[in-house]
Formats: sequence, structure tokens, C-alpha cells
Amino acid sequence: MEDRIIERDFGDLAVNMGPQHPSTHGVFRLKLYLQGERINKIESFLGYLHRGVEKLSEKLTYDQLPPVLERDDYLSPTSNSLGFINAVEKICEIEVSRKSSYIRVLVAELQRISSHLVALGTYGLDLGGALGGGASLFLYCFREREKILDVMEDLTGTRFHTNMNQIGGVRYDVKTESINKIKKLIKELKPVLEDYANMVSKDEIFMKRTKNIGIISKKLAEESGGSGPIVRGSGINFDVRKNKPYECYSEFDFNIPLGINGDAYDRTIIRMQENIESLKIVEQIIQGIPSGDIHSRKPLKSPKLTRPPKGSSYFSIESPRGELGFFIVSDGTAIPYRMKIRAPSFSNLSLVEKLLPGTFIADSVAILGSLDPVFGDVDR
Amino acid sequence: MKLIRILKNIYRNLFFTLGNITKPAVTIKYPEERRVFPDKLRIGTFGLTSNEETGEENCIACKLCEKVCPSQIIEIDIEKRDGRGWAKKFNLDLQSCIQCELCVQVCPVDAIIMMKEAAKPSISRNDFYLTKTKMMRNAEKYEASWAKGSILQESHTPNLEDKK
Amino acid sequence: MLDSFIIFATPIFKTISILILIVAYLVWLERKVAAKMQSRVGPYNVGYPHGWLQPLADALKLMTKDDAIPKNSDSLLFNFGPIWIMVVSLASFALLPFYFENPMLNVDLSLMLFIAISSLIIIGIFVAGWSSNNKYALISVLRMTAQIISYEIPLIISLLIPCILIGSLSFGEIIRFQEDVWIIFYPVLGQISFIIFMISALAEGNRIPFDLSEAESELISGYTTEYSGINFALFYLAEYVHLFGICILGSIIFFGGPNGPIFSGNILIVIKALLFFTLILFIRWSFFRIRIDQLLKFNWIKLIPLSFTGLLLACLVKYYMDFN
Repeated sequence: MEDRIIERDFGDLAVNMGPQHPSTHGVFRLKLYLQGERINKIESFLGYLHRGVEKLSEKLTYDQLPPVLERDDYLSPTSNSLGFINAVEKICEIEVSRKSSYIRVLVAELQRISSHLVALGTYGLDLGGALGGGASLFLYCFREREKILDVMEDLTGTRFHTNMNQIGGVRYDVKTESINKIKKLIKELKPVLEDYANMVSKDEIFMKRTKNIGIISKKLAEESGGSGPIVRGSGINFDVRKNKPYECYSEFDFNIPLGINGDAYDRTIIRMQENIESLKIVEQIIQGIPSGDIHSRKPLKSPKLTRPPKGSSYFSIESPRGELGFFIVSDGTAIPYRMKIRAPSFSNLSLVEKLLPGTFIADSVAILGSLDPVFGDVDR
Repeated sequence: MKLIRILKNIYRNLFFTLGNITKPAVTIKYPEERRVFPDKLRIGTFGLTSNEETGEENCIACKLCEKVCPSQIIEIDIEKRDGRGWAKKFNLDLQSCIQCELCVQVCPVDAIIMMKEAAKPSISRNDFYLTKTKMMRNAEKYEASWAKGSILQESHTPNLEDKK
Repeated sequence: MLDSFIIFATPIFKTISILILIVAYLVWLERKVAAKMQSRVGPYNVGYPHGWLQPLADALKLMTKDDAIPKNSDSLLFNFGPIWIMVVSLASFALLPFYFENPMLNVDLSLMLFIAISSLIIIGIFVAGWSSNNKYALISVLRMTAQIISYEIPLIISLLIPCILIGSLSFGEIIRFQEDVWIIFYPVLGQISFIIFMISALAEGNRIPFDLSEAESELISGYTTEYSGINFALFYLAEYVHLFGICILGSIIFFGGPNGPIFSGNILIVIKALLFFTLILFIRWSFFRIRIDQLLKFNWIKLIPLSFTGLLLACLVKYYMDFN
């Protein structure tokens, strides 16, 4: 045969899980060296979705950047722009009114629920097959997510990349009809989310496929630099909303679910319990939105409105994947000098090299699904 | 014991999916049924408005929307006569629009607005490259969205009465 | 000479044409039931309003697609695989009393012969996967061979338990025995043997929860990765023909065949087979799939000892009944 150089590795069968694959959650290339059904060694390749966002930020002004940055982690867009805007407000020392802070947290928590529903649905597709029980779970999760997206469309105008946050406040106000719609959404979603959490966590085949698979020990989690539900599954109690509170999170009352073993089962259960906690926060917000104005600066009349003083700042928020951080260096003009994004999926994905060797092929798909990478975030 | 737990799980999962058969389907059967668009919809095309009484166009070609667009899709040529500016050429590439509505927010005279009509699919690229005549015709044909430049800027000005 | 050929060939043509029509509409039934369970509408536009012309459209599309054969594959074996599977699946229908009163091949050992013929299918699958020259197909076919060979043992034993109680292996005797009460209502042995038969039928027909080599999310598409056009259509239809044959077998042995609560007739075999098929569909769209090593462990450690215990119990009960 012409070019079969890979197979000359003595004893191992080399299989390519290429960039186009039904269950790698995006464009990701893995080369697996198999012996029978066990994986001996892997090589991974990234960068298929690199769009050069950090280079682009050396050309656009601060006011033009939030809609572009939302396309980073495309499953929960407003958390990206929230982090960037908070970092800029930290340099300029702008005070944000309490009402706009409440609205920002409302949108962020609703998108956290929608992102976790997508993670659960696609995990069902991986485990159960695209034609089978997994497809039923996938379509149920997306049916619930449609209700959340309808609320976002009513609030802002688009379903997804809403461009709701601006430097100094939010763009749209929340009127009484929208509040009634959100109340109706909470009433519909609450029993359904608890139902799904109950059903999936006690399913016999799900437990057989995910218990004791991909165990991250506490020592590995501390050394690796991961964050989010992945290290909370191993028992480490770190959440940016509680340890370094931002916006108005310190006024609300919610818990942080923790896991014990650190296997794939614990991570999925933690995500489903976080859904219920986010719904609690949304309920508390709706009960008491304060009155006030939604912006605290002059309205945007020209693209060069924001001119921060010289300096640098770092600000991090809790996205559904972990700690998302923005580091901005400004030199006094309307265009940033350097902007660096600390992507949570990139650090979480580096655990793949320690977890995959020694498992079956079927387990590798389960482990990748429970790490929940989003490749817009990994490659930027 | 374990066997009874397994049987209970199988029973519960099976009857959850079976119980879904009686509920109605959630698909909207396009094109016989259509979805109800909300007020603030911004996934559609653009339109250039004209003054209601005199009938002349509102756009003064100040080029603010051209400067603020993050994807740089607008091209404007200005000509001055009769004491104000007029737009000689106003091109907008609808394929690269990211629907952020910054151009609507910035306009001082409420000239450019978004319409409440989804862009129709077509097979030629010219249908997505909007010129000035096309946009002025859009503003007369379709219904406008809620957002206008003056409304957005007025709601953003601080120290306003609360609107609940 | 010609009229003897006509007498020989007409039952075959009748059976095959009706069978292919039924199997094509089994695909439509599956898509509609799956859509109902997932809150959506299945085939809708072709043959408005319920999409009943959809199988015809699918067959036309697959027949006119390009039948691409990979360059480095063994082209003789590549085309041989799907043809073998289809021929063997159709040949096993000669033993079932499906369309006529008596089956075309009326022998004393029809049950054994049916299982022997349908276990030849694995040869076609293995040839198809091996000759594709594709690593994904190879891994999937190795898993599938292990699965099908392992699950034939519980299948045969669970079908032998009613036969020991009845005393014969031919379909005519089995149907005559069940005129009063069906086998599934027999005190303990009927239910145990039905459950074991159900699990083995799912494993033999490659349905979820045991379908790890077919509609994979790990290995793209298993042994059918390189197939397109009419070859793929043959694979798809042959799987449903084989599954329908097992459904008819289950309805004859466990549910009484043509004997019904109110009226008797040959049409009841097909109706009961369709109900059994719908039960298999419900299980497909509700559960996840299990891993290959858990599958084999389940078979050799839990299922085979259970089936042998049932067989011993059946022998003891028959001896006790004959003794008195």
C-alpha cells in the first residue's frame, strides 16, 4: 500500500479520531494507539478553530469589542462580554448601578442553565447513540432550552448572541410583561429539571457507563490548573462566585454542589444540580429588581467614547466551564494595547493526556463528554 | 435488592418516554404555520427611513454607523448640497452582519433601522448586498422593529425616572 | 417444464414481494413512533399529511446514488457481503407459516433449521467488514462477531424450554399445543424463557441496548462505513427482514401464533409480530447502550447459567408429568 507509515508501529493499531467526528464535541483531532480495545498512547492536535480574536482586539475599540468577544465560548455568550466589561470598568473605575447589575446576573444565570442543558443532551448522544435512547434525551433537553431562548428573544431581540452588556450598564430594560414571562418559565422549568436529574442519576446503564471512569484524584486536580465543575467533582471547593464575588452575587443565597469520587458520574450530577441552584438565583432576582437607571455613563454616540487611563487589570468570572479571565493592558487610547483571554476549556482539556491511556475506546468518548470542552473557547 | 431496583429503573425510563407520546408535537409546520415574531426582533434586514411629512430621506451621511460597525460592512459616500449632507452611495453587506444593533444605537437622526422580517434565502449573492434604493424600499414595505436610535439613547441617559 | 417452474417459483415471488413491502413500511413505522416519543413530527411532506410515500422516496434515492467502491478494497468480497446477508435472511422465511397456511418447507425440525440458517448471517457481515480495508469497520466487525456468537447460546436454549414442555420441534405441533393456553402464561418457565428470548433477540438483531457495532458514535458507522447506494440499502433492509423473522418466531412460540382469544386465522401471526416489533422499538428509543466487555460478562456470567437452570427445570417438570 502507498502510505501506511503509521501502522509500522510494532504491535499497536493507530486509529484517527479526526477533526470531523460525531462525538468529539467540536473540531479536535486525536490519534489513538490501540492494542485490542485498550488505548496505549494518544497524541492530540488543536487549533482547527483559531480565529485570531486576540490579534483582532488590537484594531477594534473598546466599544466595538463586546459583540465580537461573545463568539468565543459560543454556548454561554454573555459571560464572555461580562468578564471583558468588568475588566474595563475596573481600570476606568466606573460604578455600575444596582439595577443593571441585577439584569446582568439574570441573563448570565439563564445562559448557564442553557449551556448545561446542551452539555447533558450531547452527553446522551455520545453514550446512547445518535439513533437510540440518547437522541430522546437530546431532544428533551433542547425542548426545554427553547423556552429559555424564547425569553431571551423577548428581552433583547435575538435568541443567542444578545449583546446585552455595554461598558457602564445594560442595553435593554426589563418591563412587567417580561417579568411575567420569566415567572412562567420558572414555574415550567422547575419540576422538569428535577425530574431529569432524578431519572438520569438513577439510570442503571448510565451508572454502569460512567461510574469509576476517568477519575481525577484530588492531587491531580490541584496540580493541573483546571477549574469549574471538573475540579469540584473531586471535592475541591472553589467557585469564583463565592471566593471572589463580583457583581451582586453576594446578595443571593445559593449552594455549591460538590462531588466525592471525581469520576464522570459525579461531574454530570454536579452540572444538573447547578441548574437547580441557578434557578433559585433567578427566582430571587425576579422578586426584587430595584428601580433605577440602566446605564451610568453618557450614551454611546461615537465609537471612541471609552478612553481608559494607562494601566493593566485582570478580572475573572465563573463561566459554565470554569474560571474565565481577561487581562487588559491599556496605553491611554481608545484601542487596547494587549488583551489576553484565560480560557477555561484550554486548561481543562490538558487533563486528557493523563486520563485517557489505559481505558477502552468507548470510555474515551465518555470521558471527553464529561470534560465538556467548547472549541471556540480552546482555540479562540 | 438489586434486581428490584433494576426493574424499577427500567419501568420508570420506559414509561417516561411512552408518556411523551400523548403530548402534542412542538414543531411549527412551516410554511403553513409561522412563528410570532417579538417586538424587538433584530435578525432581519435593514431599512433607511424618510421624513413622514416632507418625504425626503433622513440620512445625513455622518458616517457614524460606518465607524462603529465591528465587522465593517457599511460603505457611505457623502455629497453636500442645500445646507446638509446627503448619502450618494450607501452599501451594506448583509452576509457579514453580526446583528449587534450598534449602528441603530449610534444614528443621531433615526435613519437606519432593522425590520421585522427574516431575510429570505436565495441563490444569488446580489440579493444579500443591499444598496440605498433597496433599503429605502424595505422601510416602506416591512414593519419596523422597536429599536430606534433616539429611543435607545434616551433610555441610556442616567438620572432618568424609573420605568416599571 | 415451464409450468413446473411456475408452480415452483410463484410462492417464492409472492412471499418475497409482500415481505419487502412490509419491511419497507416497518421503517416508516419506526420513524413515526420515534418522532412521537420525542415530541416531533416524523415524515410529513412526502405523501402529505402523514408521509406514507417516504419509503418509496428513500428507495429511489438510494438506487440512483453513486455506488462507490474504494480503491484498495477487495471488490469481489465487497459486493458479496450484502448479497449474502439478504439471501440468507430471505431464505429463512421459507420455514415460517407467514403467508400460506403451511410453510413452504414443512419438516419435523423446523425450529432448529430456522436458527441454523439465520446464524449464517455472520459470515456476510464479517466479509463486508474485512473487505472494506478500513480500521473502523475492522474493529466493529470483531466486536460484532464476538457478540453474535456469544448470544446464540441463550437464544437456542430459551427456545428449547417450550419445546421440551411441548415435546416436538416442528411449528405445526407447537401451534396445535397452544390452542388452549399460550406458552407465555405457563407458571414460571414461560416468563423466564420469554425474558431470556427477548434479551437474546435484541442482541442478535443488533438493537439498542446491544448495538455497539452498528450506529456507533465512537466508530462512525461500523461495518457499513464504506457502503453507499444500493449496497447500503441491502444492508438496511436485510437487518429489518432478519428482525421481522425473529419477531414472527417469537409470536408463534410464545404468543400462540394463529390462535387468538376471539378468532383464529393466519393474519394474527402478522399482527402479533407487529406488536412485538413495536415493543422492541419502544426499548430502542428509551435506553442507552452498554459497553462490549460488560455485554460479554453479562452473557457468560449471568444469562447462560440462568438459561441452563431453566432447561433443567423444564426437563424435571416434563419427567414428572410423563411419570403420572
